[in-house]
Amino acid sequence: MGDAIVLRGVSKSFGSTVAVRDLDLVVPEGALVGVIGPNGAGKTTTIRMVLSILFPDRGELSVLGHRSALEAKDRIGYLPEERGLYKKMRVGSFLAYMARLKSGDGPDLRRRVRQWLERVGLGEVENKRCEELSKGMQQKVQFVAALLHRPDLLILDEPFSGLDPVNQRLLRDLVSEENRRGATVLFSTHVMVQAEQLCDHVVMIHHGDKVLDETMGGIRSRFDPRTILFEPLDPAADVAPLEAVPGVEAVRRDGQSHEVALTEGSDPAAVIRGLAAAVPAARVEIRRPTLEDVFVSIVTGAPAAASEDGARLREALRDTGGLGAR
Amino acid sequence: MKKTLHVAVREFLSTVLTKGFIVGILIAPALIAVLIVVMPRLMREAPPKVTGEVAVVDPTGRVVGGLGEYLRPERIAERREELRRRIDEATPEAVRAVAGTSPQGRAVVEQSLDAALGEVPRIQVVSLDPATDLEEAKAPLKVEAEGGGRGEMGRLALVVVHPDAVVRPQGQGAYGSYDLYVRGKLDDRIEDEIRGGLREALVAARVAASGLDREQVAAVTTVKRVRSVTVTAEGERVTNEVVNILLPAGFMVLLLVSVLTSGQYLLTSTVEEKSNRVVEVLLSAVSPMQLMVGKIVGQMAVGFLILALYAGLGVVAMVSFAVLGLLDASLLFFLLAFYLLAYVTIASLMAAIGAAVNEMREAQTLMTPVMLLIMVPWMLWMPITRDPDSTFSVVTSFIPPISNFVMLLRMTSTSPPPLWQPWLAVLVGAAGAWVALWFAAKVFRIGLLMYGKPPTFATLVRWARMA
Repeated sequence: MGDAIVLRGVSKSFGSTVAVRDLDLVVPEGALVGVIGPNGAGKTTTIRMVLSILFPDRGELSVLGHRSALEAKDRIGYLPEERGLYKKMRVGSFLAYMARLKSGDGPDLRRRVRQWLERVGLGEVENKRCEELSKGMQQKVQFVAALLHRPDLLILDEPFSGLDPVNQRLLRDLVSEENRRGATVLFSTHVMVQAEQLCDHVVMIHHGDKVLDETMGGIRSRFDPRTILFEPLDPAADVAPLEAVPGVEAVRRDGQSHEVALTEGSDPAAVIRGLAAAVPAARVEIRRPTLEDVFVSIVTGAPAAASEDGARLREALRDTGGLGAR
Repeated sequence: MKKTLHVAVREFLSTVLTKGFIVGILIAPALIAVLIVVMPRLMREAPPKVTGEVAVVDPTGRVVGGLGEYLRPERIAERREELRRRIDEATPEAVRAVAGTSPQGRAVVEQSLDAALGEVPRIQVVSLDPATDLEEAKAPLKVEAEGGGRGEMGRLALVVVHPDAVVRPQGQGAYGSYDLYVRGKLDDRIEDEIRGGLREALVAARVAASGLDREQVAAVTTVKRVRSVTVTAEGERVTNEVVNILLPAGFMVLLLVSVLTSGQYLLTSTVEEKSNRVVEVLLSAVSPMQLMVGKIVGQMAVGFLILALYAGLGVVAMVSFAVLGLLDASLLFFLLAFYLLAYVTIASLMAAIGAAVNEMREAQTLMTPVMLLIMVPWMLWMPITRDPDSTFSVVTSFIPPISNFVMLLRMTSTSPPPLWQPWLAVLVGAAGAWVALWFAAKVFRIGLLMYGKPPTFATLVRWARMA
């Protein structure tokens, strides 16, 4: 299998602002890759360059084996971040029009439109005008518009923003399904949890630089668990004895629970036993490093939990509600 | 190519199938039809039936009689009948046929005529003593009449004829005249009758006083107005002055209206796509050039529809006035050619502006120069129709994009330019259209994804250089 997307040393500036700097990126065919990073990191610019909507100042790229996405447009499905519909057009006609523009024409076009609308729970809106739909419904229609012509490469820019948890899950399932069908998926988000739930490979961009490019498994093993989450049975209980447990370096209060940092080389299992013996526990668990932790530690150069910078960054990475709970 | 076509079809349908377009496109011809049908009816409506007297102070004693004769109800009816006959003659065959074939039409015409004749005013002319006090004679005019301008109105007017109105004193150049005092609310058509009567009576009295024969004078001073014959290399034909003026104007208006309407639609739909954020979705499927060309072609079809509708109306009108022969087939060809060129030029600029701004309000400032371009032909219209061969006319007919309008104007004028000139104008126009399209394509590509501060024309030019 070849590579669906290859970017080599790609840079793009707008005036004096560098949006993307010397980016190398390879997305193999059939992969499901998330591009993550806070707002303004350069995600959308990267995606627009992949689609030849913008052209890089420097560097080379190839998409589906072509020098430019323009030559492979019909095989690409794209859900932009800046998305909209023709207000006065009927939903069914809009979808059919978009499919036709992608050369997805055919005798069964209308039937496919109906099928897809039913799949995203919008079976009854086919003959409504786009402006009559709620924002979430419009987003689902746009999502369908990106999938309708069965693309080989699916590029989704912030696909879940503004959706409720139920619909986020629905779209996530559809994306996985498309990926299983064989489509390569590249999507961007600034909400790390979503990437964590969906991708098998993550690319992180910060201030136009790529700071991480790794599989989820690799990330997990590289960023070894060094924190245990401890929630006492009695919220008012004195947690001082915890610090005395062997292998514990520090205890930090985090809302209802406490984050217990481990010393280098200690055995997490032994520490858990010790903690539970010291204070009656409602919950004790090893905290797996989230993308958020990884990102914060990369950007701030410090262990995830510590700095104040990290806390602010965390806020930015969590800001959509929905499935944001850890 | 196929994608461009899809864009064009959507653009056309989404413009044409709106209520606004259908109403707008139908209302204008409907209004014109109403004006053609209703206005003459309103204008031709006979003066109201009025009964009353016209008092005349006539020191010469030779005017009252003539005026009295002129204002007799039978004479008024006769004149009206005569007028009707003349209008009937002037009415084109086609219109008369329509009115004549349908029984209702004929009934309506006759009914209205009968009504008009039945409504002849009854005016009595009363001679007052020349010594009468003027204020006293005016007094009855001030009495408020019942029935508001209809029916019995008492004294309608007071005429004071000047003593020198019929016989000139020795050594004086001009004849005297008369003073006319009328009551308030007197129908202007009654007043016209009185003036007409006085004119007639005065002329008759002066002619008689000079020892001449009225009939003879009338015969001597009448020169029948004839139609001129335009002589060209191809042959001779009767000049039709109305057509000579209306045809170029009609063609230019047609061109301007269709270019302007479809250009405006293009601007609106581009701004809409951008402000709706549909544009990026579209750009993932088609290239900016395909999108722009598709939109331009779609709106061009809209312009053609407008052009066809109005030109069709014009042709129908010309058929009914039996002057279709004046229309050259080659003229229609050039109308289409110049429409195409003018449209592509203006539409490109509109598309560029639409892509550059975020909302319609911001488009207004950028539109002004384009609007000026479109207005220039209006200002040139009169000088060019008057003198289609002047240096000025010739030069302006080779400067795109106004060349497209001006050349058409010259071609429909009384002295069409030699054939190489329109062809050259087509070439020049095509070059202009190409430049506009090139500029627009650059601006379009960059502008579509630019949000924020609306650009100035200078920015647009920079974009065009950059891309």
